[in-house]
Amino acid sequence: MKLTEALKILQQAPENAPPFHVALACGYTPLHVETFLGAHLQQRLADRRVTISTGVYGDVPGTLAGLKDAAAHGVAVPLEWADLDPRLGYREAGNWGIKALPGIISGAMAVLDRIAAAVEEIRLDIPVAVCLPSLPLPPIFHTAGWQAAEAQLALDRKVAEFASRIGRRCSLVNSARLAEDSPPGERYDLKSDLLTGLPYTLPHAAAVASALSRLLAPPLPKKGLITDLDNTLWRGIAGEIGPENVSWDLASHSQLHGLYQKLLAALAEEGVLIGAASKNDPAVVQRVFEREDLLLRPDRIFPLEVHWSAKSGSIERILRTWNISADDVVFVDDSAMELAEAAYAHPGMECLLFPTNDYAAAYALLRRLRDLFGKPRVSEEDAIRLESIRQSAPFQAASGESTSETFLQEAEAVVTFDFPAGNDPRALDLVNKTNQFNLNGIRYQEADWKNRRTRPGAFLVIVSYRDKFGPLGKIAVLDGRQENDNLFIDTWVMSCRAFSRRIEHQCLEAMFDRCAAREIFFDFRPTPKNGPLQDFLASVSGRRPDAPFRLNRALFEEKRPRLYHRVTESPTSSNSWITSRSA
Amino acid sequence: MDHIALRLTNCFQTVFPHLPEGEIAAASQTNVAAWDSVAAITLVNVIEEEFGIEMDLDQLADLDSFSRIEEYLNREMPLS
Repeated sequence: MKLTEALKILQQAPENAPPFHVALACGYTPLHVETFLGAHLQQRLADRRVTISTGVYGDVPGTLAGLKDAAAHGVAVPLEWADLDPRLGYREAGNWGIKALPGIISGAMAVLDRIAAAVEEIRLDIPVAVCLPSLPLPPIFHTAGWQAAEAQLALDRKVAEFASRIGRRCSLVNSARLAEDSPPGERYDLKSDLLTGLPYTLPHAAAVASALSRLLAPPLPKKGLITDLDNTLWRGIAGEIGPENVSWDLASHSQLHGLYQKLLAALAEEGVLIGAASKNDPAVVQRVFEREDLLLRPDRIFPLEVHWSAKSGSIERILRTWNISADDVVFVDDSAMELAEAAYAHPGMECLLFPTNDYAAAYALLRRLRDLFGKPRVSEEDAIRLESIRQSAPFQAASGESTSETFLQEAEAVVTFDFPAGNDPRALDLVNKTNQFNLNGIRYQEADWKNRRTRPGAFLVIVSYRDKFGPLGKIAVLDGRQENDNLFIDTWVMSCRAFSRRIEHQCLEAMFDRCAAREIFFDFRPTPKNGPLQDFLASVSGRRPDAPFRLNRALFEEKRPRLYHRVTESPTSSNSWITSRSA
Repeated sequence: MDHIALRLTNCFQTVFPHLPEGEIAAASQTNVAAWDSVAAITLVNVIEEEFGIEMDLDQLADLDSFSRIEEYLNREMPLS
């Protein structure tokens, strides 16, 4: 990003949008880092107005200590060596040399301790993104530049220990990726450092700001990957050379496919859904899947669409089974024509070519997939996602059939309501990831989400589900407030894995019961993707809403189907379901 | 308006978005309140990006008006 472009992005920020405020804690003159950080965040958060505040020059620990009670949506900390000891920069007159080094190292350790302590005092719901020192150290060591000095290694070790300590609380910029975006030899600008106090070249300022913005406003990870089989998951066409002769190993010069399988296995373990769409003979594919040396176990792939029909149709059925939309999914195939057909039928789906004979492109593909599916943490729900989708298949098959009542009645379903007193990260994850059953599509930053609990009459409900087929985990979240006998629901999301079980009906039943409300007010807004929620609301209210609306209990009781769940309350629920009462 | 003046006007519009276009040619540090030290450095960097040159920051104090910067560019820019 050029500086001119960054300035224009900031000027075009929506005037009346909700603010997104970031505190920038750097010891140097923030200048263009501030501009680039604001612009990168503004690009990522088009519906917010990004503002940046800066701290005290030369005092990162002091600036961070001042943020202890700050109301920010994020804190960005681009550290530099000079922040640890001014003698590790070029603007101070302090001595360099062997005698000065022990003092520099011990001073740096003390500053790192102060920074870590200050970071640990910042409110837990405020994300903190840290970039470790990214500039070359000045020539203060007795060794030639190409030889690592003992003192330099000691400094590196102290910084690594610091990173390990704060890594539990903060997100850290990946220094190796930063080096790809901004080569180390092109980062430092002595003239700018001495004349303005900003030590970075413009490209490096842009790269550091971009890296920090990705940590503070990360993109939503994709949820599913649909892969081709022949010449993609393995080398060769199984139907032509035989299932025993397709390969994915080093000896057969087909390791690219083995690496791809390994990555898919790792993604599946992290909760990414893996499906396959292949024009093939099912019996032949079955024989490949029986091979013990397959690195991606066949039970990790669901559904498997193997036949001779168009792949766009296979993808359609896989998306329906997964109950997610095309733009949450990546499709990988070695045929540009198949990719084009799929992309045409499923706009928004990311379609990537598997480059069978291009090692550099294959390496880029592996990294691209990691970026598309990367997430800061793996939750319990991630681990059970595939299994719960398999369990959904009988529910989907039964819905619409006359036997569905019996099926639901015999499912031994248990819906558990949790009214948490503290912060459960799964609630916000679900709110920000769910598209189809989502009351209004509003996304929240962690600090804003937590602040909602302080509104008079505020409540938060997390809903879990299990039945005889197994647990679905935490699958729904409701947030709102109660005023006398009126209930206002501002947020309501439910995972698509939980459809067809009447959990949404049970949620409303529980809400009516809990507050003895005659009416519930829904802050409903139609979005391009919340059709399933609109269908549900139409079924219980008798009309399809197009704006915020209210639902009468008597009407709901009349319209709702029979419910067979056993309803329980989580042992971790707080005594009062209202998190804040008016004075 | 010649080519350099036109491109310089664009630079001023980027750095001082609230400055009316008709006032840019007469802009100086004394009559543009937003032209502080940070804006001065930003302006230099934006001009460097636009014209593909490296400006002498030691001369920053002298480059205090549109007309002086235009003169500087006319002097420093290689003839095409």
